[in-house]
Amino acid sequence: MLLRGKPNERVLLLGNEAIARGILEAGISVVTTYPGTPASEIGDSVSEIAAEAGLYMEYSTNEIVAVEVAAGAANCGVRALTAMKHVGLNVASDMVMTLAYTGVRGGYVIVTADDPECFSSQNEQDNRFYALLSNLPCLEPSNSQEAKDMTASAIEISEKLELPVLLRTTTRISHTRGPVVYGSIAKPNLKGEFVQDVKRLVMVPANSRPKHDVFLKKVKEAKEISEASPYNTVTRKGKSKNLGVISSSSAYNYAVEAIDLLGLDVSVLKLGMTHPLPEKLIGEFLKAHTKIIVVEELEPYLEMQVKAIAKDYAPSVEIYGKMRKPYFARTGELSTRDVLIGLANLTSKKLPIDFERINAKYADIAKELALRPPILCAGCPHRASMYVIKKVAGEKAIYPTDIGCYALGIAPPLKVGDILICMGASIGTAEGISKATNADTVAIIGDSTFFHAAIPGLVNAVYNNHKVVLAVLDNLATAMTGHQPHPGTGVTGMQTLSNRVFIEKVAEGCGVKFVRVVDPFKIKGAESALREALQFQGPSVVVFRAPCALTAVKEKRRKGISLGVYKITDKCTNCMACVKLLGCPAIIVEEGKVGINEVLCAECGLCASVCPYNAIERGKND
Amino acid sequence: MKEFNIVLAGVGGQGILLAAEILGTAALKDGLNVRMSEIHGMAQRGGAVTSHVRVGRSVLAPTVLEGRADILLGFEPLETLRNLKYASEKTVVIMSDEKMPPPGLISESTRYPSMSEIFKKIHTFTKKVLIVETTRLSAEAGNTLTQNIVLIGALVAIVATEKLPVKRKCVVQAIKELVPSRYVETNIRAFDLGYNYVKGKD
Repeated sequence: MLLRGKPNERVLLLGNEAIARGILEAGISVVTTYPGTPASEIGDSVSEIAAEAGLYMEYSTNEIVAVEVAAGAANCGVRALTAMKHVGLNVASDMVMTLAYTGVRGGYVIVTADDPECFSSQNEQDNRFYALLSNLPCLEPSNSQEAKDMTASAIEISEKLELPVLLRTTTRISHTRGPVVYGSIAKPNLKGEFVQDVKRLVMVPANSRPKHDVFLKKVKEAKEISEASPYNTVTRKGKSKNLGVISSSSAYNYAVEAIDLLGLDVSVLKLGMTHPLPEKLIGEFLKAHTKIIVVEELEPYLEMQVKAIAKDYAPSVEIYGKMRKPYFARTGELSTRDVLIGLANLTSKKLPIDFERINAKYADIAKELALRPPILCAGCPHRASMYVIKKVAGEKAIYPTDIGCYALGIAPPLKVGDILICMGASIGTAEGISKATNADTVAIIGDSTFFHAAIPGLVNAVYNNHKVVLAVLDNLATAMTGHQPHPGTGVTGMQTLSNRVFIEKVAEGCGVKFVRVVDPFKIKGAESALREALQFQGPSVVVFRAPCALTAVKEKRRKGISLGVYKITDKCTNCMACVKLLGCPAIIVEEGKVGINEVLCAECGLCASVCPYNAIERGKND
Repeated sequence: MKEFNIVLAGVGGQGILLAAEILGTAALKDGLNVRMSEIHGMAQRGGAVTSHVRVGRSVLAPTVLEGRADILLGFEPLETLRNLKYASEKTVVIMSDEKMPPPGLISESTRYPSMSEIFKKIHTFTKKVLIVETTRLSAEAGNTLTQNIVLIGALVAIVATEKLPVKRKCVVQAIKELVPSRYVETNIRAFDLGYNYVKGKD
């Protein structure tokens, strides 16, 4: 659909799909990514059509590699884009900070998708500060149409300044569907040329120093672009000179709706290019009002800078937001409600909705509501792996864990996961914990995360001889983000077959002396491998390999193989062992009796393996 | 009509995002402005899932304000209760009868409420409640995975009586475009069964 859509056609697209269409319209020819919510659908949408569209797309091993590959191409004059989630930019930052000095020759866009509210992330950092830190231009769309248009604008700015440009979205931009009117598709051009230019491209101190000056000149030019940008504009003019609102991104949508609901007479300055800020435009807006309210999500990024601008342009203007007094929260995502309440407080207006009454009524209902947190799927091989790990290593062992579905193992009854910080940190933190406590330490990591960031940590374990077990829960996909391929699958972003990189070979190559590969559903074998690993003097690796249940079930459906079902026989004593040990969503208890939900059951058979009475049997298909 | 707000609530895997996309696409086909929120990734794995569909000229935000839903489309009774804060006495609650107890419910102190308790709770917000027998109707359509479409059929029938947007022919067209071709026939059947279920009650 993205590739076939004609100019002026109006369709409903996710922000991420709109960026993918923007890639086609901007003639971007190299797209790299490491999947991460809420950015994943950018790469996935491109992967589906890359070959047909004539562009190159890859799932890189991690975000810094993704930026390196794209920057290499962009420095040969080819247009490129890299997409990642907010924390991915932490990984890529070493490259990005100095790429700002060398610059690029072909347009290059780095998409960072932030996650206010941590819907699917370990923190809610505000990546607009990367724009401030790196001094790179930054665009922030507020809807799908802008997400598409700004992708092309970012390329234009990038080529004009010869700088990478950040395109910053948030979950509510990336994962909101809205109408998008297509423009025309540009033909990608994958043929680049590398022009040797040591002074420009080799960042040794003697070259970096002058490049820093050149860079700052470009930033000045970027400011002029920002002053004239159609994305920085007063979208509504109030009659009174009293109140002005400044906003951007998602927050702008909430602000405008809240202003209408309160019936406020205000001017609104919408900022779409948020680095560098249009100082004159903002300065004039400040001068025209006596009171300014800055509505933005997460950190007071705009407010801080608006205050600095006010010092020069309008020292007496009052500025409100979250700095002096928190009218809007600095944590979590905003909503129309939050903005409504903040604006009502600031303008002494009455709220049009009695939220307290709703809250009170809802509290009565909420207090008796059972929670439904995300859990490992029925048939998930991670459940089997963690059951084995917990059974063998026990309650006293320490379990540093990592980023992926297996983080859900922290829930009862498995309760595997004692520390979780960032991609690949399981192995490194395990080494410090083992050194400090001498306790059995089992680091848990997934396959894609292993390739992403665990290898230096593993080499460190070998080199410094840390006695830790690395359990790699290999489900042959980057499952949490939508089953993208990775080096261990031997499939590429172009959807072609390639060289498969085996985790066990990598571990051996790193110098690990004890490496085993087990099937987590063959419990006895898995248990004995882990037992040996725990006794091994030095680092050891156990790869628990079985495909993700979701892909396994899908594959069977596709092939027309009907799923078998497990049934509880009359040998069942209702001892609840299966319920207490596994926490499988397909095992249900109705009126005190254990049963299996046939729709959910993925026929993994784990429950049958752990039943002490052999009361669970594989039934025939009805 | 200034705006029309639908909150869809259920459990990951029930086809909530597809249902929302069908409704959003249908409104777009009618030339309307749409915003539709989705939650992916960690939030989806068997957990509670919601999606908001907002239609209207001046709609910008992807999420519905508390108390401002026109329709609360509940794919599961417990999840319907969890999203009652979006309802007011004007809201129509359309709810599946398919109960999905959260795993571990038995070991917690909170038990799954009975249907009459669920009704009582919904009634504290709105008296306009319609239960749709999605399990039976989807089986009749030929696939129990079409419960989401049965609900959409019911919603379109309700909307037609309430004279709000989301037209039947646009929804049918959206289903044809968004559902894999080999399942279209079953899904259209499911849609009609849901639609006629409501119409039969008129």
